[in-house]
Formats: sequence, C-alpha cells, structure tokens
Amino acid sequence: MEGHPYGYNIPISEKTKEVPWEEKVRVYEEVKSDFRFKEFLFGCLNCGVCTASCPSNRFFDYSPREIVQRFLEEDVEVIYDMMHEYIWACSQCFTCWIRCPFVNNPGGLVIIMREVAVRNAFEATKDLLKPYGRVLLKVMTTGNQLSADMLQPDFFPDWGPKMQDNMENIRAKRMAIPFDVGKSVKTAWEVSLETAIEMYTIWRETGIFEMLEKLDPNLYNVIMDIVEENEERWEELMEEEEEE
Amino acid sequence: MGHGKSPYLRYADPEPFPILNKHSHYDHLFEEMHELEEKGEILVFRITEENKPVEVFTRTGRIKTIPTAKLWHHKSCGQCGNIPGYPASIFWFMNKFGYDYLNEPHQTSCTAWNYHGSGTSNPVALAAVWLRNMHQAWKTGYYPLIHCGTSFGSYKETREQLIFNKELRDAVKPILKKLGRLTEDGRIVIPQEVVHYSEWVHAVRHKIKELYEKEGKAKGIDVSNVRVAIHNACHTWKMMADDYPYDPEVYNGQRPAASTAVVKALGAQVVDYSTWYDCCGFGFRHILTEREFTRSFAIQRKLKVIAEEIKADLIVTHDTGCTTTFEKNQWIGKAHGMYHPVAVMSDVMFAALACGAHPFKIVQLYWNCSNYEPLLEKMGITNWKELRKEWEDTVKHIAELEKQGKYDELMEFFKEYDLYEPYSKTSDGFKRRRSASADMPLFKS
Repeated sequence: MEGHPYGYNIPISEKTKEVPWEEKVRVYEEVKSDFRFKEFLFGCLNCGVCTASCPSNRFFDYSPREIVQRFLEEDVEVIYDMMHEYIWACSQCFTCWIRCPFVNNPGGLVIIMREVAVRNAFEATKDLLKPYGRVLLKVMTTGNQLSADMLQPDFFPDWGPKMQDNMENIRAKRMAIPFDVGKSVKTAWEVSLETAIEMYTIWRETGIFEMLEKLDPNLYNVIMDIVEENEERWEELMEEEEEE
Repeated sequence: MGHGKSPYLRYADPEPFPILNKHSHYDHLFEEMHELEEKGEILVFRITEENKPVEVFTRTGRIKTIPTAKLWHHKSCGQCGNIPGYPASIFWFMNKFGYDYLNEPHQTSCTAWNYHGSGTSNPVALAAVWLRNMHQAWKTGYYPLIHCGTSFGSYKETREQLIFNKELRDAVKPILKKLGRLTEDGRIVIPQEVVHYSEWVHAVRHKIKELYEKEGKAKGIDVSNVRVAIHNACHTWKMMADDYPYDPEVYNGQRPAASTAVVKALGAQVVDYSTWYDCCGFGFRHILTEREFTRSFAIQRKLKVIAEEIKADLIVTHDTGCTTTFEKNQWIGKAHGMYHPVAVMSDVMFAALACGAHPFKIVQLYWNCSNYEPLLEKMGITNWKELRKEWEDTVKHIAELEKQGKYDELMEFFKEYDLYEPYSKTSDGFKRRRSASADMPLFKS
C-alpha cells in the first residue's frame, strides 16, 4: 500500500526508498539532536486544529499535524521524505503554534528540518532554493535582505503597472526619501563597511558560508569574491588609520 | 504586583480583562533573566525614565514596559527597501513629539526573513546577529526599537533560547568576543524588553490623537467615515504569543490591541471580518518564488473576504511582509475576475496621513501599488494630485542637480528637506561619527 495508513498519503519517493536506512536514521537523529526539538514537540491529540488553520494546507499537500505525528511515531522514512519538498510548503506563520492545545510548534520543527536539509545539501533543496539566490547574495554580502535594486519590474509583472512607474528614476526617488542613511539603492539603508565586516565574521564563525558552499558552489564563489574584496578594503583602511 | 524577585516581571492587579492562561513560560523567562543578571553572566539593558516608559498589558496580564523616547532605530530591510514611507512616518512622529532618537548605519538586518525562507542560517548565527545589534544600541545609550515584525518575533524567540540554554550562550560568546561585542567584563547585553514599533504606536496613541485633533483636522482631514480592516502580523502576535499588547478597549483583551487601538483612538471605524486571524500569504520564500500561492491566499482569504463582508476603504497592517503582500497582489486579480481594490498601509502611515503628513514626501505612497487615491479623497486630502506633482518636481530637481554634478547644492537642499539632522552631525553629546573608517559606507554613493 502506498502512503501512510494514518494520513500521509503522498507516496514515498523512489529516491528516498533507494537511500540506505542508516543514512535516513543519521538525518533523523540530526534533526532530533537540535536543542529546540524538545521545546517544539510535546503530546498530540490529533485534533487537527493546526492543519485546519494552516494557510499552506489550503493550497499545498501539506499538514502541520502530519509533521507532529510523524515525529511522535518516529517515522524515519516519512520524515526523510518530507525533508525534500514537503516542508518547503510551510509559510512559517506559526498559526499552528498559537493554536495547538499542547503548545506543539510544527512550524518550528519545519525550520529545524529545513536547516538540516540545507546543511546536507539535498538535491531537491538545491533546486528549490535556486530562485532565492538573489536574497542570499544580498544578505550574505551586505547584511541586508532586501534593497530597492532587487525590485526590477521585469521580475514582478504581476504586481501591475504602478510597479513599473515606481521604479523609473529610482536613484532620484531613493534620494528623495527624507531621512539620513535611507537613500541607498543597493542596500535598504546605508550600511557601514565595519558592520558588513562583522556580519562576515558571524557567517564564518557559525558555519553559514560552509552551508552555502554545499548548497550552491557558484553562488558561494560570487559571494566570497565580494566578501574578500570588502575585507581587503577594511584592512587597508585600518592600516591607513594606524599610520595616521 | 510583583512575582518572585525579578524586577522585570509584574502583573496587573486586578486583571485588566478575562485571562485564559495565567501561567506563562514568560514568568520563568524573566525570573531566569534576572538570575543570570545577578550571577553576572548577562547585562540587562534597562528601560529608564529617560526613555519615557509607558506600561501596557500582554495577553497574560503581564505589565510590559514600552520605552517611547531616546530610541535606537532597528530598521527593517523590507520597509526601507520597499516601503520607505513606513520608517519615515515613524521618524516624522518622533520629530513632532520632540523625542530624541538615533538612526545610524551600524545596524544589520535580523536575517530572520532569510532563515524562515531558506533555512540558510542557524540559532547561533541568529543569536550573534541579535546580540551584536543590541550591543551596538547599548553602546550608544539609545534603547532599541524594532521596526520589523519578523525581527521582533525572531528576537523574542532568540532571547528565550539564550536565557534557557547555556549551550547557546557558550556558543555565541566567543563570536561576540571576537567582534568586541561583550561588555568590558565579558557579559552579553540583553534588553529588558524586546519592543516592536507597533507597540510604540500603541503606547503613544493618545498623543497621536491629540496631534490629529490639532493639526490633521485643521487641514480638513476627517477619518471618522473611513472603514478599516485590521490585519495583525503573525510574527508579532502568534510567535512568542505571550509578549504582545492586549487591552480591555480592544475586544475586551481577547485580540491583539496594537494597530486596532490607534485606529480607534483616531475615530476611524474598525470593522470586523471573518478571516481576521489568517495570515497574509507572504510565506517568506513564497512572496518571491512561489508567488501563485501568495497571491491566491491573499486574494481568496483576505482581499475578497474584506471586500465582500465589510467593504473596507483600507487594510491597516503593522508589518513589512503583510503590507507588501496585500498592496502588490491586487492588480493581478483582474486576470481571474477577482479584483478587489482596497488601500493598504501600516498603522503608523495611516496615522501620519491623519495628522497631516505629506502623502508623498513623508508617507511615500508612490511606492504603493494599491488603490490608495479614493482613501485620500475620503479622508479629505483632496489636493493629493497637487501634492503628488509637488513631490514629482522634487524628484526631478534632485535628479537634475545630480546630473549636473552639483553635489554641494544637493547637500544644502537635503539640509532643509530631510526630517532631521544627518546622523554624522549631532549636538546631543553622543559622538556618532567615530572615525572615517568606522563610518565608511559599504557602497560609495
């Protein structure tokens, strides 16, 4: 019988079936070993209130109740399968968390699963996050996640004709923003170089650059070129200041 | 009424409204935070009288202290990059009230949008980013005010994880040390309260009302006929749900109070609708890369419901993603005969308009893709076309000066034009410009 007798009716993918059992257990244990896991998973009545109020459930084959149930049943096979595409439907709104009578946090479990999926560079995760590369480039190199130059109208034809008008003469419009450090086009506000350098240190020390290298080697190379260039600039500035 | 010995944990007595859950894990958080402070492991960045504190209630009846003055603006990348009238309206009010504040370039995003969207980070990195920003605020002496709802939710969560997990504190401390972001005696800096700008708006709503009565009405503005649908952001009230304002004046304390309370204080009509609790459909990754989900949810669960049930003139929001989702995903509804035009803006933008702020220079409505013009007419801002022309001429003037390389003239122009003295020129005693290298921008403009 395909699917799960208690409701997870998405057939286990052939790719998952081919993965050695030990590997699935390793990934499962990696999720469970996260210090947040014990704070996000408690008992479950199977009441389904989480799924009934889940926005993603309305448009995707996705159920927060299933996330909780599969963990409680220690269903290694299904959890592993979910970690490839299923979990990426979650909107991270945490409606499930506020509504659960047992204070389970399915959205929190999903974020642990996503983090482990990225760290293990699953192929499906790589494909899924490809279009997201522009945000990763921006946040890794500037410490800002969004800037005006990312909102090119060609990318957003569905946002309508006003969007096209808004982006004309963007540089002058940004300068007409009436507060200091808010006039930049390439960053959301004018980030200082020192601040960006501190961000690079955080990414390096916490293994985020390594995550990226596995996820998208080409993007990683582009990011590291920018990071190293800025770090050199900073070192030169420091040397100049010392000389003075 | 105090609980235990923590000065950060106080409850209203008597209860301000019916309370279902009187025992929150937040009790333990504030007790543990105080214990860590007493052990000398953390420094609690306290709210003082200088911050002109105002007390509000959370849903468990805890008294939350909201600082209203001398604030360090933790800006939102989505707001500054995409809805610049959002922060501009906050600064405009602070100027009007004569509050001192600091808006500087030494701030990063919280990086939580990226984390929720892509999973490409981890709790240690998120904690390091948060504590780095809090240390920067503490160093300046200005108390952090968080503009973004996701930053607010993420920071509340990170604080809880740090307070209850020694492993996390031990992991993040060496990184902060490397950055020079510990106190001189090696402590991490944790703020007494994590405060969202909508809580600030909530705390000063009566001052906003006074300004509306005095200046907005003098300009012929009247919001009493404006029908408003409130949308509360998931990351403010569903994430770490016991730490957001509730008030007896708003559904008798049974729904989040911020935004609703200020709209009510202004005298506009808050109209209830059946899907008030639903999210907007933003989804973090979805708004960019699964847009069919975002627009389907926004249209079918919110815009259509609001149009059909209550015929609102305006959706009032209090976060970056929700504002963007609702105002950008209306036009496309025409493709399926589901066009439900309605104005969309945050509580502070609507309040600024009501109090007479310039719709384009301050509230920057030109970034907005929704149908805001009928709302302006209804509010009595009937000269909005002239104001738009005025603003467009300003943009042309700026563009022309830059084209001609007249940078000195441009700087002179901004001296008069901007909301306050540039960050590098201050007279309040804090030496903001530390050195040429410290203030060097990442991008030269």
